[in-house]
Amino acid sequence: MFKLNHIGLSGNVLKAALLISALIGLSACKALPTQSQACTVPGGPDLETAVAAAKTDLSGVCSYRYDDYFTQLLDIAKGDPKPENRQVFSNFLVWSNQQGLLSKVQAQDRYNRYFNLKFISMKGDYNNCASTCPNKPELMRKMEQELVDKELGLLQVSSDRLSYQRADRLFQETELVLEATCSACQADQ
Amino acid sequence: MKSRPLSPQGPRLMTKGWLILTSLSLLCFNPTLNAASSPQLKLFPTTVLEDIRYTGDVAKNMESGLQELIGRMDQQSELFVQSKCEGAEEDPGCAQLQKQLSDTYLEMLEVMDKNLPEMEKAVDSTRNSLQKRLRRELGQKMTPWDLQETLLGTASEQPTSSKPSMRGRSGMRLSDRFSQYYDLVSTNGSSAKQNASLAVIASDIYLDMEETSDLITRTRQEIARATLMGRLNQSFGVITPEMQDVVAGVKSILFGAAEEDMPLAAPPLASTPQGYSSPLEM
Repeated sequence: MFKLNHIGLSGNVLKAALLISALIGLSACKALPTQSQACTVPGGPDLETAVAAAKTDLSGVCSYRYDDYFTQLLDIAKGDPKPENRQVFSNFLVWSNQQGLLSKVQAQDRYNRYFNLKFISMKGDYNNCASTCPNKPELMRKMEQELVDKELGLLQVSSDRLSYQRADRLFQETELVLEATCSACQADQ
Repeated sequence: MKSRPLSPQGPRLMTKGWLILTSLSLLCFNPTLNAASSPQLKLFPTTVLEDIRYTGDVAKNMESGLQELIGRMDQQSELFVQSKCEGAEEDPGCAQLQKQLSDTYLEMLEVMDKNLPEMEKAVDSTRNSLQKRLRRELGQKMTPWDLQETLLGTASEQPTSSKPSMRGRSGMRLSDRFSQYYDLVSTNGSSAKQNASLAVIASDIYLDMEETSDLITRTRQEIARATLMGRLNQSFGVITPEMQDVVAGVKSILFGAAEEDMPLAAPPLASTPQGYSSPLEM
């Protein structure tokens, strides 16, 4: 059996050392959120309040849960849909960029994915024959997913029916025009 | 031996093809279409318009030839029914009526068979012209983002009452669709909005032409078979449902049919939601 006396430590010294270690450990734990209270977006109906709370949390240790916060804020906004919500989210995303939570491109993409007619899925630097047509099914799938997000952002959060309808229409027009264009591109091969 | 008229898909093939071809005439006589081709997007240059006009002329000739025949068949069918000839084909009078009806039917097939090769050529030419334009203007000159912006038009545009329709591949009568195209290009004022509409219209017509070309080929095969069987027998015996379908299909084109409900396009709104402009907006 291992004896403390063998390494020359008295019982009192050992107790003190253990106590200090425990205190250090406790103070370290205090810096992390406990499971019950940490990183939970307020569930109240007021979006501005929820955004303020989210900012406080995300400025600290909860930044790793950014996506959950954003989703939760959208959910809260659905409870009071109005055009002004678009600006609230824009400001929140700009703040997120300033805080280093999102890059500028990420902030732009997220805003446009939910609150703009244009599809970020359509971003690309090469011509349609070369880059879009070979991946048309994948592109259409991404656009369809984005349209679901636009339904949330434009329709359910911002109460902007006309813009959502136009986005939906744009999706259909893109599908039609790409079908024809890609058929024409293929005929050249 | 009973002769075999067009198979059940025959009337549908002909109907679809005819719908497309007869509708072209509306586009051909659009005086504003040249103006609709903006310098930025040359989808309808003179060569394409000429192809469309020629196809429309061919379709129009065929229509006029068939209209009289269909009217005659209607009269003969009515007389056949009124004379209570159904089930009384042994009666000499009824046999005569049957013979007349069969002759008219064969004549209709002959008119179609005579005109279809020229129409097939015209449709193929139109399709090829549009194919070249689509490939160059939308496929090679544009990125997907350019295409999207073209379809949206510019942000400064305001909603208007014009509502371009899309085919949606769901069977809306093409004549109505082309009427909407006509309204669109004749009332448009801005170049960007024209481009947005014309990209859709050009795609629409091109896909229809592709389909029509295939349908004409298949229809010609059906007609050849039906004509052969009819001539072998020299009599159709009875007015078959297939014969009635063929005639009804052609009539729906020449004399009109109920329009299906189609979702109308939303007016070309501004490219970004109104009321607030985010600094993040693209």
